[in-house]
Amino acid sequence: MLAYLPVLLFVLVGLGFGAVTIGLSTIIVPRRENAVKNSAYECGVEPVGNARGRFSVKFYLVAVLFILFDIEAVFLYPWAVSFHQLGLYGLIEMVLFILILLAGYFYLLKKRALEWE
Amino acid sequence: MVPYLFLGFAALLVATALMVILHRNPVTSALFLVLSFSSLAGIYLLLQAEFIGMVQIIVYAGASMVLFLFVIMYLNLQHDVEKGAQIALRRGIGWMVGALLLLFAGLLAKKGWVSGPVAALPPDTTGGNAAAIGRVLYSRFLFPFEITSILLLVAMVGAIVLAKGRPAPQGEAE
Amino acid sequence: MIPTEWALALSAVLFVIGVVGVLVRRNALVIFMSIELMLNAANLAFVAFARQQNSLDGQIFVFFVMTVAAAEVAVGLAIIVNLFRLRETVFVDEINLLKG
Repeated sequence: MLAYLPVLLFVLVGLGFGAVTIGLSTIIVPRRENAVKNSAYECGVEPVGNARGRFSVKFYLVAVLFILFDIEAVFLYPWAVSFHQLGLYGLIEMVLFILILLAGYFYLLKKRALEWE
Repeated sequence: MVPYLFLGFAALLVATALMVILHRNPVTSALFLVLSFSSLAGIYLLLQAEFIGMVQIIVYAGASMVLFLFVIMYLNLQHDVEKGAQIALRRGIGWMVGALLLLFAGLLAKKGWVSGPVAALPPDTTGGNAAAIGRVLYSRFLFPFEITSILLLVAMVGAIVLAKGRPAPQGEAE
Repeated sequence: MIPTEWALALSAVLFVIGVVGVLVRRNALVIFMSIELMLNAANLAFVAFARQQNSLDGQIFVFFVMTVAAAEVAVGLAIIVNLFRLRETVFVDEINLLKG
């Protein structure tokens, strides 16, 4: 359990660094606000409309495919570290697994799901 | 040290989970969900499930939440309006059911949740938790593992068909 | 060493929060997030029992639950997106086509 102490320290230092820099700069920075300074900067042009516009649904499809292939990659980790004990048997079962997912990959290529038209 | 860490993570988990269901803005809810999944990953580390903890961060806090945020951004949701007598009534019923469930859990706790002592033989974890999981997963749980690939394939096809199958009837958002 | 009961109590609390979220909110996305919370509560119980029994089977089950959850998120959110395209709302009490 103590092996995770460096990780914990890393997280704490990371959080602390963010908190200290942002906190300190809000405390010591001089504030002279005016309307022009507070407006959103958009290449010198007057900002038009709401910044929270709708995203395109294309992003959604990419995210879905990402999450499914992410799971596939996660299944590869324990297989890779125990590969020497599993041997040929393990290789065959993983090839089978990837072949089935490859069918899905070809399906989405056929459906042009990854093209950005 | 470890019990205090557990209590800290548990407090963070409960607080962020409550914020998920209480906050009016779905984007904020999703971001609190990321935090609660991360603290759950910390608890998994403390419970000696290191690999599960990392997968929790990769799959849930990473991939799942990206998907949630994309959908929220796509739908362009603002704050939820939750007013009116009917909604207030349903909220009251919901919290009451929650309290009853907790009460039930408390009654179960009196009878004792855990029977028997901790098993004497620790699992073979040479090479770490991930390697141990790999040895069991790819031998004894071979069939569920292969079925998983079918599940992922079905999810992939389903998501593509649902998202791309036919043009939107009321005009696609830009 | 953390007592298994603590983890189970935490799992119960997390599950109840998820149940309340499903019952209280009307935004389908937040309901979905609450379902994720409940799945995670079950996962926590699995991990706690796996440590109690000194066995890895519970952790492997968690692994499968996560896979199912990811597939569920992918398809479920696609359904919500399509529902929104049809009805222009994600509030579940306004989606009552079957109510006659």
